[in-house]
Amino acid sequence: MKDRRMFVFELVRGAAAIAVALAVGTIFIFLSSDEPLNALRYLLIGPLVSMKGGLASFNTQGFYTILAAMIPTIFTGLAVCVMFSSNQFNLAGEGIVMAGGFVAALAGIYIHMNTGWHAVICVLIAAALGGAIMLIPALLKVKLGASEMVTSLMLNYVCMYVVLHFLNYNFADRSKGSTQTYAFADTAKIGALVPGGSKLTWGFVAALVFVVIIGLLMYRTRWGYAIRMIGINQAFSKYSGMKVGGTIVLAQVIGGVLSGIGGGVEVLGRYSTFLWKELPGYGWTGITIAILAKNNPLLVPLAAFFIAYLNKGCQLMATYCDVPSEMIDIIQAAIFLFFAAEQFLSGYRQKIVVKNTRADLAKAAASVEGGAE
Amino acid sequence: MWGQLFDTIFKAEFLFSVIRITAPILFAAMGAVIADKAGVVNIGLEGIMMISALFGVLFSYWAQSWLVGVIGALFVGALLGLMMGFFALKLKTDIILAGIAVNMMGAGGTIFLLYMFTGMRGNTGALVSSNILIPTVSIPLLQNIPILGEILSGHSVLTYVAFLLVWLIWLLLYRTPLGLNIRAVGENPNAASSVGVSVLRIKYIAISLSGALAGLGGAFMSMYYSQGWNSGMVAGRGFIALAAQAMGRGEPVGAMFSSLLFGLAQALRTKVSGLQGVSSYLVSLIPYVVTILGLVVYAASTLKRVKKIKAAHPEVKR
Repeated sequence: MKDRRMFVFELVRGAAAIAVALAVGTIFIFLSSDEPLNALRYLLIGPLVSMKGGLASFNTQGFYTILAAMIPTIFTGLAVCVMFSSNQFNLAGEGIVMAGGFVAALAGIYIHMNTGWHAVICVLIAAALGGAIMLIPALLKVKLGASEMVTSLMLNYVCMYVVLHFLNYNFADRSKGSTQTYAFADTAKIGALVPGGSKLTWGFVAALVFVVIIGLLMYRTRWGYAIRMIGINQAFSKYSGMKVGGTIVLAQVIGGVLSGIGGGVEVLGRYSTFLWKELPGYGWTGITIAILAKNNPLLVPLAAFFIAYLNKGCQLMATYCDVPSEMIDIIQAAIFLFFAAEQFLSGYRQKIVVKNTRADLAKAAASVEGGAE
Repeated sequence: MWGQLFDTIFKAEFLFSVIRITAPILFAAMGAVIADKAGVVNIGLEGIMMISALFGVLFSYWAQSWLVGVIGALFVGALLGLMMGFFALKLKTDIILAGIAVNMMGAGGTIFLLYMFTGMRGNTGALVSSNILIPTVSIPLLQNIPILGEILSGHSVLTYVAFLLVWLIWLLLYRTPLGLNIRAVGENPNAASSVGVSVLRIKYIAISLSGALAGLGGAFMSMYYSQGWNSGMVAGRGFIALAAQAMGRGEPVGAMFSSLLFGLAQALRTKVSGLQGVSSYLVSLIPYVVTILGLVVYAASTLKRVKKIKAAHPEVKR
């Protein structure tokens, strides 16, 4: 009973935070647009409902597009869940997605294989690279106490410039107008799950599999337990004999591996050459998703769907109305601030706690009286 | 190639550009120092710089006065700091997440705000005219000294303010009651609160000062350095400032020297990337790699010091 009330409270609080964020977005839409109601319609129902001649119908391709957009962010969201659970504010996911995507693309171009395993090998290489990169901030933190936040922020830029260097000087296909690599081999491409141009690939299935794997890891293994315990109370974990340093490194390497996979799967699934010229932003989105999911891997797909939906809505709004798509950043920032706010609606929680305690006391008193008879 | 490089580096003009490039990092680094002294990690410096850079241009355009722009940017920075403080201290959002949120607003929100206020996309090109840019000053006497004058004279007003601030912040932290309180709150909030210091109030003051300083850095960027606002112009300077603070051991003067190091690395990058046969991308790495190396050196030396102290006092256990 008690748990259920708190659960309902958490739900209400999450919904309220999202409502506040959308309200902030609405205010900005009304301030900036000449046709605010139209813009709102595109934002809120546009992604899934297509209007033709006054008839609303479910937009299946739109739905697939949203699912496709979730693929990289599920991976980065999971990565952030694991790292933040151990209280490590490692922000290098962003750079690793780009680096992972790049090596996966190179492996897709220069390694020749016949079997269907080609794509898997490419993604595994990306995963290994991601884990290796993450060792840098993790080891610096554990061995020297250097802030993983600052080193990982710097690593993002290092990843970006190193990738751009190799892209421009070593691997560019000069026959194309813009800077990009040669096309991957067909064997390296990740196949589509549904017909049409939605880019919904088998990568989506892989992402869901990883949701289950990481969920099991975090809640059903001792490593996951150690990661979460260290996040809650590092000193306690240390004194109870856990290997704190090793676990912190492990959490970040897992984060790196997941980010690397995310980059590889996205590049091999969505494009036919590597053509990113700046950081793709999936790492930051992953943080928003982890916050929304409260670091619970099993909630990551839900959070990723929500963000992908909003993103699509903002794009539609920018295409068909006069509201820039960067609106998504303002909404995301507001979600961030309110959703992560422990004291948001705390007065209400206080009331629930008081009510529960009174009920418990009354019950206890009743049982004492009952025993006295 | 090396000869060419040496020719460009050993010139007064090069050192002049080092100072120019250092200034915005220095502003933000001072913001990081103040926040850190009060025990607050301000990772939002990057976003605060972006947003106040935009408002600096907007205010100066509306008032047709650079001073109004700079003061406006300062206030916007302080307000954003206060907002971070409100969420972090009152609503208990993790301060790092609050900072990331501000950075998000800085990255995409500014593009949106610019469009909302002016209908422009991506940059403020048409708004900027020379009378709303921060003016440069030639320092009498100094400017006549041959090489020194070339290096130190002719900077913008804010550049001098940036270096003056290092001294002012040091004064604030070590010679005023407020500074004592800030340091006490950062060192040990419980002890500070037990002698009647309002920990919350001090933290609010520190983080809004931090925001205001980053705001000045933003104004410097848009109203002098790149002569107008464009998306992505801050390019990680807020993050580099955090690193400068860590490398400078959290002290104003130390942070100034590490800021100068980054300024040097970045100035080198602009020089080197003009040369034949050099990858501009690899040269762009320099400031970030220097930052990581600097952090490693700093962290290693701290660790050594702590071990030494522990060895000298075996009775102290932590």
